[in-house]
Amino acid sequence: MKNKHIVSVFDSEENLVNAIKAVKENQINIEEIYTPYPVHEAIHGVGKKSRFTWVAFFFGLIGAIVVLAFLYYTSVIDWPLNFGGKPSSAFPSFIIITIVTTILIITLGSLFTFSVRAKIYPGKEAVMPDERATDDKFVMMFHYEDDSEQLRNLLHENGAEEINEKEL
Amino acid sequence: MYKEAIRGPLILGNKSFRQISADIIAPIDKRPPLWWKAAFGLSLLMLAYGAWAIYRTIFLGIGTWGVNNTVGWGWAIINFVWWIGIGHAGTAFSIFLLVLRQKWRTSINRAAEAMTVFAVMAAALFPALHMGRIWNFFFIFPYPNTRGPLWVNFNSPLFWDFVAITAYLLISASFWYYGMVPDFATIRDRAKNKIKKAVYGVLAFGWTGSTREWLRYENLSYVLGGIAAVLVVSVHSIVATDFAVSVIPGWHTTIFPPYFVVGAIFSGFAMVMTLMVIIRKIYKFQDYVTDKHLDAIARILIFISLIMGTSYATEVFVAWYSNNEYEIFTFFHNRITGEYKFMFWAMIVCNALIPQLFWSKKIRRNLWAMFTISVIINIGMWYERFNIVVTSLANDYLPSSWTNYAPTVEEIGVFVGTIGLFIAGILLFFKYIPMMAISELKSVRDAGSKFKKRIEEMKIKSEDEL
Repeated sequence: MKNKHIVSVFDSEENLVNAIKAVKENQINIEEIYTPYPVHEAIHGVGKKSRFTWVAFFFGLIGAIVVLAFLYYTSVIDWPLNFGGKPSSAFPSFIIITIVTTILIITLGSLFTFSVRAKIYPGKEAVMPDERATDDKFVMMFHYEDDSEQLRNLLHENGAEEINEKEL
Repeated sequence: MYKEAIRGPLILGNKSFRQISADIIAPIDKRPPLWWKAAFGLSLLMLAYGAWAIYRTIFLGIGTWGVNNTVGWGWAIINFVWWIGIGHAGTAFSIFLLVLRQKWRTSINRAAEAMTVFAVMAAALFPALHMGRIWNFFFIFPYPNTRGPLWVNFNSPLFWDFVAITAYLLISASFWYYGMVPDFATIRDRAKNKIKKAVYGVLAFGWTGSTREWLRYENLSYVLGGIAAVLVVSVHSIVATDFAVSVIPGWHTTIFPPYFVVGAIFSGFAMVMTLMVIIRKIYKFQDYVTDKHLDAIARILIFISLIMGTSYATEVFVAWYSNNEYEIFTFFHNRITGEYKFMFWAMIVCNALIPQLFWSKKIRRNLWAMFTISVIINIGMWYERFNIVVTSLANDYLPSSWTNYAPTVEEIGVFVGTIGLFIAGILLFFKYIPMMAISELKSVRDAGSKFKKRIEEMKIKSEDEL
């Protein structure tokens, strides 16, 4: 379903950051901001937070336990082999595989989580208000209901180059 | 440490964002120049020679190689270690410097990561071929099989190596690819050609540049950076344990893991320098790969070269100090003197002595000198691996089995083939992928400008005082 949005375009990070401040002071909700590179003020401005690092830690914990359990099962329980009388449960030498495989599990898990949470996956169509946002423009988008004279004035004062209405 | 606030801007020429996108994407939009086609043709010839050698190796067996019962590891292992070493720089470069928040990495990390991916692919070929029966390759995967199930030996460094390299290839390739996603979106949105728009549109995974994406993207790169930094150290340490757990004189030492890791980063950084000089010179990227970038790499190379020199000296010292006759024989009669002395001294000269020329600022400013020295370092690193692998094996405990080792055309062919693979990969990278991380370049464009402003303010003040 397509909705109408107010789309403002800025040509520098400085103007965008000032506009975010002004809009926030007037308690207007920003729907989304599109930038050519990560701008921390924009991320805070939209109010996005992420528990990504916790997810990665969780993957690591689960991965390490699973791998160690697998090594123990295969070398001690399922088919213990005698290598010159050395103990089957060779914990120190299991650690190396555990570390490397845990890293692999964290990586694959994180990539998957990223794809799901950021909605970035092969075959996805890019829906964006302004194509120039991946090149040199900073685009701030508002819900159509939040449109007001005051908002437009604020944006213009802070150097918005264009203010458009778009359906996305 | 490279502090932008002290050393000035990372990108010269007061570029606009639009200009940065245009500059980096330009080689993708243009038709490939003549030198590119010639080099690509040459790399395909090398690949064909490699394919012939691999065909012979697989269908006739390892007997086509020069390795024998005494020297069981020859060029294959030398080249494997050499390529893995080169493959270390990408990750060392982008990840160590990402974690340390060194912004000068932005112009270089993409090329370094591309290099890593191709070098690790080249490296992985050698152990696979060295198995002899490559069609039984899948035996190395620990899966419930009909042979027992008989599991692989999880205590063997050779198996650790397999795990580490597979993980390293997967992780560095995905790190590289995810780094490119925003840039593919830039190409997609700038493209006028419909086919190009569609192709890069698929590659870009629907990237839009929203805060939703950037937030997770930054988190992802720091998480991956943090954990893959461990991998940089562990992978080559594991390669070193392949040697160090054996009881061969010259291999059985505790210095091996750190010595291998440093050596790997050394050859990798040298290869990064080779590549950056080529990119800067041919694609005229001097505004992005500035003298200061190359200078920073050269300084790192001096430092690592000193560590390498110290390691070589430590090995020889410990061989003497241990008073172990086999160690003393290997180092003093088999390496420093004896039939393989050329390899030993080539290693010392190329790795420990020649890079010291970088102490001179003139040499750190001269592209040709930097290019030559970086190539010499990689030749030296190859000799180092030859020195380690062959000299320890050729004259072992039993004089009756002493023998010489020389590669056959098949062994040379496999090596030439991997060089062809590497060059072809790098050339395709030049043509189809943005050579520098465009979005990251944009974010560091103004990194030195605060400093510039302050200088200007100070100038105005001092003029007022006058």
